[in-house]
Amino acid sequence: MGSDLFSIGRSALATSKKSMATTSHNIANANNENFSRQRVTTETNTPIGEGDYVVGSGVNIRSIKRAHDALAEKKLNHSISQHQYNEERTHQLSQVEEIFNEINSEGMNKVLNRFFNAFRELANQPENEVVRTMVRDNANLVVKDFHRINQSITAVKEGIDRSIGKAVEDINTAAHNIANLNKEIIRLENAGGETGDLRDRRDESVRLLSEYFTVNTYEDEKGQYVVNIAGTGSIVAGGAVNELKASKVGKDPATKRESEGKVELFFEGQRNLVISDNVKKGKLAALTETREVEIKGLRDQLDELAYGLTKATNAIHRRGFANKKVASDAQGNLIHDPSLGKLTGINFFNEPLQKDRAAEYIKLSEEVESDLSNISTALAPNSPGDNRVAIAISKLQHEKVLEEGQNTFEESYLQAVGKIGLTTSKSKIDTEQSSGILAQAKSIKQRISGVSLDEETANLVKYQHSYDASARVIKAADEMFDSVLGMMR
Amino acid sequence: MTRVSEQSSFHAINHAVNKTKSRLEDLQLQGSNLKRVQKPSDDPIGNTELLAIRSQKVDNTQYSRNISFAKAQLSFVENAVEELTNIMLKAKELAIGQASNFYDADIRKSVAKEVEQLKKQMVAIGNRRMGNKFIFGGHKNLTQPFNDQGEYFGDSNTTKIEVSKDFFVPVNFSGKSVFFPKQNSAQEKETPELPLSAPKILEEPDAEKEPEINRSLASFKEDQTPVVQKNIIHHIQALEDALNTNNPEIIQSLLPVLDKDMDQLVQLRTKIGSTINSIDNASENIEKTNLLNEEYKSKIEDADVAELFTDLTRQQNTLNATYRASAQLMNKSLMDFLR
Repeated sequence: MGSDLFSIGRSALATSKKSMATTSHNIANANNENFSRQRVTTETNTPIGEGDYVVGSGVNIRSIKRAHDALAEKKLNHSISQHQYNEERTHQLSQVEEIFNEINSEGMNKVLNRFFNAFRELANQPENEVVRTMVRDNANLVVKDFHRINQSITAVKEGIDRSIGKAVEDINTAAHNIANLNKEIIRLENAGGETGDLRDRRDESVRLLSEYFTVNTYEDEKGQYVVNIAGTGSIVAGGAVNELKASKVGKDPATKRESEGKVELFFEGQRNLVISDNVKKGKLAALTETREVEIKGLRDQLDELAYGLTKATNAIHRRGFANKKVASDAQGNLIHDPSLGKLTGINFFNEPLQKDRAAEYIKLSEEVESDLSNISTALAPNSPGDNRVAIAISKLQHEKVLEEGQNTFEESYLQAVGKIGLTTSKSKIDTEQSSGILAQAKSIKQRISGVSLDEETANLVKYQHSYDASARVIKAADEMFDSVLGMMR
Repeated sequence: MTRVSEQSSFHAINHAVNKTKSRLEDLQLQGSNLKRVQKPSDDPIGNTELLAIRSQKVDNTQYSRNISFAKAQLSFVENAVEELTNIMLKAKELAIGQASNFYDADIRKSVAKEVEQLKKQMVAIGNRRMGNKFIFGGHKNLTQPFNDQGEYFGDSNTTKIEVSKDFFVPVNFSGKSVFFPKQNSAQEKETPELPLSAPKILEEPDAEKEPEINRSLASFKEDQTPVVQKNIIHHIQALEDALNTNNPEIIQSLLPVLDKDMDQLVQLRTKIGSTINSIDNASENIEKTNLLNEEYKSKIEDADVAELFTDLTRQQNTLNATYRASAQLMNKSLMDFLR
């Protein structure tokens, strides 16, 4: 009977000690966001039949469980994907938006406007060389701003390409982490070990993946833990990783634009299946979407603008005559002196070959760049006071030339700026919203899994008391032995 | 009862403080330059409107320049025409005096001298320059339009400039329209505008299809021979000749011609005057638009100061409250009460 007391006391002592250790573990990790608090669950030892009675035989530790809610975890992961998507979009779009920010500085709208007004000024004084210089300078400013915008947008696009490459590295590291943890967890569980901390770490890695794309996780029939990139395929299955790859692909060699290439995503296992556009939410979707929709759209619009401007200006300018004196013979027939060069049919800008990349290649024509008198204002030779061509070019400002006669240059440009502004503004609002949702999801998870120091303190006192009491049980048993042994003397 | 863990309350506090702070930062930025719109996304529609207003402003500045230019030019022309009218008046007076048989050849000779001076003045006016430009040369404004005999070498083109959107005014009058008697109106040639339909221009594939572009110099024939038609200088010359030859009949017959010339010059002055008037109107309109635009622009881009600072104070109060509430929560622990 005494031995029962001893073993009951011992089991209670061990349980209290283990509980205290768990509580300490909780307190120690209170500030670890990825930690789930753990609880010792106990059960009674198998009771022992003693004659007519069944007597309890103490306490037994059934398991150490982490407080975890799979649903809350899933919700958190989705909120992370959503929020990271919005945040990355806002980040990229803000950069793009800044390129078109003309509020406190000069931009395309202003230089285009000045370009047309320079021609208006030239119409006042078509014979004035100084005004011609002004026209050329303003035209060069337009060219420069096309190049600035084009380069800035390209820089953002290249930044996105780099970000995708960097993201893939992080993703693969996390994927390998998960695979290793999968193996470890299975090994430990087969040996009957506790896997709470390892599972926490695996969840942490999955959360990291959620930053890049929507993740679906499940355990397949063989008990393998599988991580799916929603919309594409699995990146981790048990201990195996299907690595993600990113590399520069020239999508369509036919058009020059695409041949500058862009970084596309695919699985190591299926190199010819590009999955960039299938990834949902997360940073990766934000990056590819911004690149494919906004940046591509803006570049196209900019090309359209540059193409339209050069084509229209050239078409009018070609009809003009250079400001050069042409001699004539006795009959009044003009003599074309080859040393004068071209007198009419002169392009103002380099004639673009195609709309694609027009903004990149826009440039003043050789003739205008080298000789100011090639800026043609007159509709007839030997007419220095004729300003009709200059006026016609300045009137292009209000002419609906672009998008099949839908828009003027300014309207088209302002539409593009308005669109990027609206998209950015919407993305900002979305980000604010999703950050609220994310905070809520985090808080729900933390309410379930997080450590409350007050609770742990109370538990510590509780377990300490039960430890003390268990020690008393052993002492009582000891005293009982003493009493019995004393009877023998 | 919901469970509260260290992390959940930490997140709650963090989120609350961050939210208030970022709003405060936004307001502070607005407060620092009193502009409501800093980036296109702050007000996408307003931003594009701002840009459109701004280009209108630049346009209007250019139109204002054009207006001053046109006015200066026209006043100059008007002056010249006025002088011409005075000369004509004088010539006519002399002609009327000499039309009768009252005077003899000697007196007529001396009057002829006077008329010759008048003619010279006329040629000088015809060759008058503004800056380096001959004002009566038409489009050929860098070559002297009249020679001493009053022969005209310019063309009949008028230069027009835009003084407000789509409103063009002539800023010079060719020697042809000033010095030459008006032909029947059908013959009077208006300066052809460049046919401008930009969309069509864009559609055209290229040069081959556009014969106009490839037109060679051959299609232009330079008028080397001066315009032979008689102009007012010639009329004065005729008067001088008649005086020299002592021929009152011719002088008599010249009177209605000179009258007609006078009428034409007066009409021209009226035309210039009304053009200047319409330019003044355009100028007033531009001022008005500028004022309205300025007002609209301010409405879009300027922050409402009163509202801004009320908001700022309110956000500051919110932040203070958040801090105070968080301090209450964070500084308490069960530990304080045990033992």
